[in-house]
Amino acid sequence: MSDRLRNLPAKVYAGAAAVLVLLALPFYLDRFWLQAGLFAMAAALGAVGINLLTGATGQLSMGHAFFLAVGAYGYCALAGDGADGLAGLGLPGWLAAVLAVALAGVAGGLFSPIAGRLHGAYLGIATLALIFIGQHVLFNAHDLTGGYNGRAVPPLSLFGLTFDDTELLVAQIPFGAVEKLWYLGLALLLGGVLFARGVLRGRPGRAMNAIRDHRIAAGVLGIPVARHRAAVFVLSSMYAGLAGVLLALVFQRTVPEYFGMALSLEYLAMIVIGGLGSVAGAVAGGVFVSLLPQLLNRYSDALPLVSAPGTGGIAPGEAARYLYGAAVVAVVLFLPGGLVRLAARKSTEPSGEAR
Amino acid sequence: MNLGRPAVRGLTAALTALIALTAASGCSSKAKTDDGKRTGAGGVRTGEGVTDTTITVGALTDMTGVYATLGKSVTQAQQLYVKQVNASGGICGRQLELAVRDHGYDPQKALAAYTELEPKVAGYAQFIGSPFVAAVKPRVDTMDRAVILPQAWSASLLGSPSIRTIGATYDVETINAVDFLVTEKGLKAGDRLGHVYFEGDYGENALKGAKFAAGKAGLTVVEQKIKPTDNDMSAQVAALKQAGVKAVVISAGPRQAASLVGVAAATGLRVPVVGNNSAFAPQLLGTQAGPALRSMYWFASPSLPIGADTPAARKLAADYRAAHPKEGLDNGVVAGWTAASVFGEALKKACAAKDLTRDGIGKALLTLKDHDAGFGIEHDFTDPKAPSSRESVIIQPDPAVPGGMRAVRQPFVSEAARAYTP
Repeated sequence: MSDRLRNLPAKVYAGAAAVLVLLALPFYLDRFWLQAGLFAMAAALGAVGINLLTGATGQLSMGHAFFLAVGAYGYCALAGDGADGLAGLGLPGWLAAVLAVALAGVAGGLFSPIAGRLHGAYLGIATLALIFIGQHVLFNAHDLTGGYNGRAVPPLSLFGLTFDDTELLVAQIPFGAVEKLWYLGLALLLGGVLFARGVLRGRPGRAMNAIRDHRIAAGVLGIPVARHRAAVFVLSSMYAGLAGVLLALVFQRTVPEYFGMALSLEYLAMIVIGGLGSVAGAVAGGVFVSLLPQLLNRYSDALPLVSAPGTGGIAPGEAARYLYGAAVVAVVLFLPGGLVRLAARKSTEPSGEAR
Repeated sequence: MNLGRPAVRGLTAALTALIALTAASGCSSKAKTDDGKRTGAGGVRTGEGVTDTTITVGALTDMTGVYATLGKSVTQAQQLYVKQVNASGGICGRQLELAVRDHGYDPQKALAAYTELEPKVAGYAQFIGSPFVAAVKPRVDTMDRAVILPQAWSASLLGSPSIRTIGATYDVETINAVDFLVTEKGLKAGDRLGHVYFEGDYGENALKGAKFAAGKAGLTVVEQKIKPTDNDMSAQVAALKQAGVKAVVISAGPRQAASLVGVAAATGLRVPVVGNNSAFAPQLLGTQAGPALRSMYWFASPSLPIGADTPAARKLAADYRAAHPKEGLDNGVVAGWTAASVFGEALKKACAAKDLTRDGIGKALLTLKDHDAGFGIEHDFTDPKAPSSRESVIIQPDPAVPGGMRAVRQPFVSEAARAYTP
């Protein structure tokens, strides 16, 4: 305990410095970087959710993209005022966001009879169906989703502050949508991370890990296996829903094309690269996987081997895919615990991560 | 977590520093000091993407996703245009520069690329993917105001002062295609017309046109909706045969068109098939469906084919061959060239008015009334609510012509298309 106390100041100062930098970024970075950061935050939130399910409980889900879509479209439908000819309830933005997350949870709950009974790869196959059903509905339920071209996302307003592109001057800096959303994203991510850590470090977390490691033993110990599996599936869906709402707010439009199989696989890649079962790992993996292609695209002219689009050779988009394919292989071979292990190895005390 | 005194101290330090930083943010390059508009060389007012020596134009393309072949041709044609303009001295005493970003038909990458280029370019001569264009539309209309020439022909993009589609939209094109079937292929009132179309924007826009045209000509439309991933059209052909259609319109990709025509010919459904401009690629002529395509397939296009017998087409085909000897000549080349030339014309007009700001370029484009890129169609950009032209060309696959396409009906607007309002 005394050891921990002595370590505290250094940790606190590092943490405070990090928070400070994150808070100051909107004053300096341009829109591209803030937007990339927001995509990374949304990805991190979604990854935390799927890591609770797949990493901590050992339940494979391929349907994460479906729950993201429920969150994103749910928000649009609840907050939309119907002026664009699409179904909308016209609720205030904050209420719509909360209800959209709840809606994703309900969708997860409806699936829980299946999620509670199946395990591992079997659940993966069952959830695969969600993607296909989901995309079919998104493309065809015109009045709700706007079809192929998607629907516009109504801006969120909170305490009189509207998160849209109306300019707000803060210390001479014009604050548009991304600058304002940046703080919202940080707050949501912080809340999401703390909540997930709380879950993993408490009784439910130990029960989830027990189910992952040996479900029969867990059952014998008195853990209600099916109920826990179903509950964690609902929780993971709600995280996905929240990520979906944030993504929709950043995109300012929801497009069905996005919520496909590839997105689900990306989320799985995030948690494998970051570290299965750990919250910090999910955040690191989310940031890594969502920033990589954007960085490669931006600096394509300066990188060796990657060529500018249109000149032949490896296009940046392809290079990003090769790179994170290679990253997944490298992590599995050399760093089975993911990126978090890298950090844990360096620090002297064993990390208190919930794994 | 144990929030002890050190934590409180850390927090206080952080907050103090934050306040200091906020106060110092006046030094940030983001600080609002002017509106970014200057008067540059030659007394020309300039805005984003324009310096005294260069004009940067954006191109958001797809080279690794579903529209990779189209994106490649369009981009290479536009790079060729830029090269030629620069060789002849540029525009307004400035060299053109094409900033290309590949989004691989991924919404996140497309939006990131748009945002990245937005402060650096005068406008966009290419933007593939109508959902993404629709996604940035509110921003373009209210804040960015940069001219965007999308490579998508859906009527849903009409109506914005900055986003301007080039040539007939899919609905208008389909009306013209049906007119061709009625006037030249003997389709008459009371007949059934099959329509195979992609779910989504493109197909549904075309279906709207087909229904309108069918209503005018007294035809009944037999719908067959397919997905972009459906490659085998046997079921659709069987259904259309059962329904006794006398002709078929296909609003899908080249692969689906080849399968439809090939299967129809093999099963004895010998009726004329007409496609939209996206439903053909010259490579199809080398497949097993080649002979059937030559005898019973036509498609409508918003411009003459690359193999047309006009001076501009001959020159473009020769130049493109010289620059990219290994690449095929397809309609993407013409589309890319036309868009780049429209953008170039707008820049020249803006230069004449001594205003190369985005608003200046937008206004210049609104005065472009009879632009002809040399492919037989006159474009009129004065009305943002209407497509720049309602004309279509009917093209027949023909391996003897460069590019594998021969125009069988010169640019025309059908009676129905003239009366149609999107």
